Amino acid sequence: MGEAYRFPLPIVDGLRLDKALRDVLLPDRHIHDESGAMRRLPRYFFEIASWEHAMSVRLSPNFGLWEFIQTDVREAAALRAFPRYVPCAITLLALCLERFRDATGTFVHIAANGGYRSPRHAINTNATAHCWGSAANIYRIGDTYLDDREAIERYAALARQSMPGVWTRPFGAARGETDDQLHIDFGYVLSIPHDAPTEHLGFDAERRAAS
Amino acid sequence: MPTREAQAPSVLRPQSLEGLRARLEAIERTAGARSLAVAVYDTETGSSFRRASDRWFHAASTIKVAILLGVYAAIHRRWLLPHSRLHVRNRFTSAVDGQLFHVSAERDANPEVQAAIGKMMRISDLALHMIATSSNLATNLLLDLVGLETVQRALDELGIDGIDVRRGVEDERAFDAGINNRVTADGLVQLLRIIAEERAFSPELSRGMLDLLHAQEFRNGIPARLPNAVRVAHKTGDISTIAHDAGVVYPPGRRPYVVAILTEWPRDATRRSETIAEVSHAVFELLTGVGEAANG
Repeated sequence: MGEAYRFPLPIVDGLRLDKALRDVLLPDRHIHDESGAMRRLPRYFFEIASWEHAMSVRLSPNFGLWEFIQTDVREAAALRAFPRYVPCAITLLALCLERFRDATGTFVHIAANGGYRSPRHAINTNATAHCWGSAANIYRIGDTYLDDREAIERYAALARQSMPGVWTRPFGAARGETDDQLHIDFGYVLSIPHDAPTEHLGFDAERRAAS
Repeated sequence: MPTREAQAPSVLRPQSLEGLRARLEAIERTAGARSLAVAVYDTETGSSFRRASDRWFHAASTIKVAILLGVYAAIHRRWLLPHSRLHVRNRFTSAVDGQLFHVSAERDANPEVQAAIGKMMRISDLALHMIATSSNLATNLLLDLVGLETVQRALDELGIDGIDVRRGVEDERAFDAGINNRVTADGLVQLLRIIAEERAFSPELSRGMLDLLHAQEFRNGIPARLPNAVRVAHKTGDISTIAHDAGVVYPPGRRPYVVAILTEWPRDATRRSETIAEVSHAVFELLTGVGEAANG
């Protein structure tokens, strides 16, 4: 037996990050979802040192970390530089997508802005599961672009079948609907891996850090 | 009908200007155009010529020069970098009521931007496609990013009037509601003159915009009947009853002149580009004294 496998990304407590990063990641803070319900944001994140590092890390046999952090110029400036941070739930999402890929039998392409987005990403209007690292927008499967009802609904059904409990955004052009990609979503998942820092700051310090 | 009198430049004889005006009247009549507007500013002499140059036209794709200015305003203010990346997504909201619409792939001249849907492209590449191949998808992505206010503010800050930016392109609901981008020949000449004279934010940014205009691939308007040695940085605009071209013309051995040629036509008109080329040729002859401007 060789050395025990060690996941190549350090886990950080978001409340201990610099203020500039806390202001955009909003660790452990609450924000409203579309229905007005309050949702608690992730506190623990994987730290990604560089783009090369992101390219080298596999989260599952067919999904690399880089696919989940492709955000555009509308992402908060602090998160367009490295090190970057992604909620720990991203590993669970990748495993679920691997199962979905098996069901499709071909490549599954995650859209830009379609993996993790911070709560400060300019295209967010409310809490979206993208801020938890538990949602993905898929614009293409194999050679099929998901830009019509038939394709989106067919693959949405396959997603629900292969990933029990997953939510898919309905087809349509209205607010809350999609007509140019498949949105799959596991909700507001908080992941606290065993390696997460256990040294807490104490209630008062946490409150100061969060303010 | 001309709505403003031509102003005789100091180095051009009045009879030359009258000759140009008569020639344009004949070109308009022969071609069957509903309207022909021309504005010229010569940076060599400071002289100008105007014919119906304050008449408003549907802007068609000439509005993309104003949107380019807005993008460079955002770069100037450091909101963007040329290499910033933007998600290519074909989903836009109408200026009328916020309903979604898409840019038709069949009607977009540029397949490269369409092929990048779902991925990201650099701002500089989108700007190039918006100008050089008139990509409607690139245009709407950039306008969506910087916002109408940024574009209009940039125009206002540079003192440019005669350009009215109200929406993105291919917004059919807005078109039906009469909400359209509009330009005058004067407005386009003001804008292009500021860019040509490197007064748009900075010399470096102005040159960046000129480089994109020099990359224009639709060359059957202003440059078509000019000698090959003449460089032209320009933008065309072409929809059902509208054909325009506006640009900066660089004849060898002299400073450039700026020209905007705006035309409106019956739906079945066939000599749109040829007419713009003929007008461009006439202006070139007047300003350079070169009688035969055919390519060669």
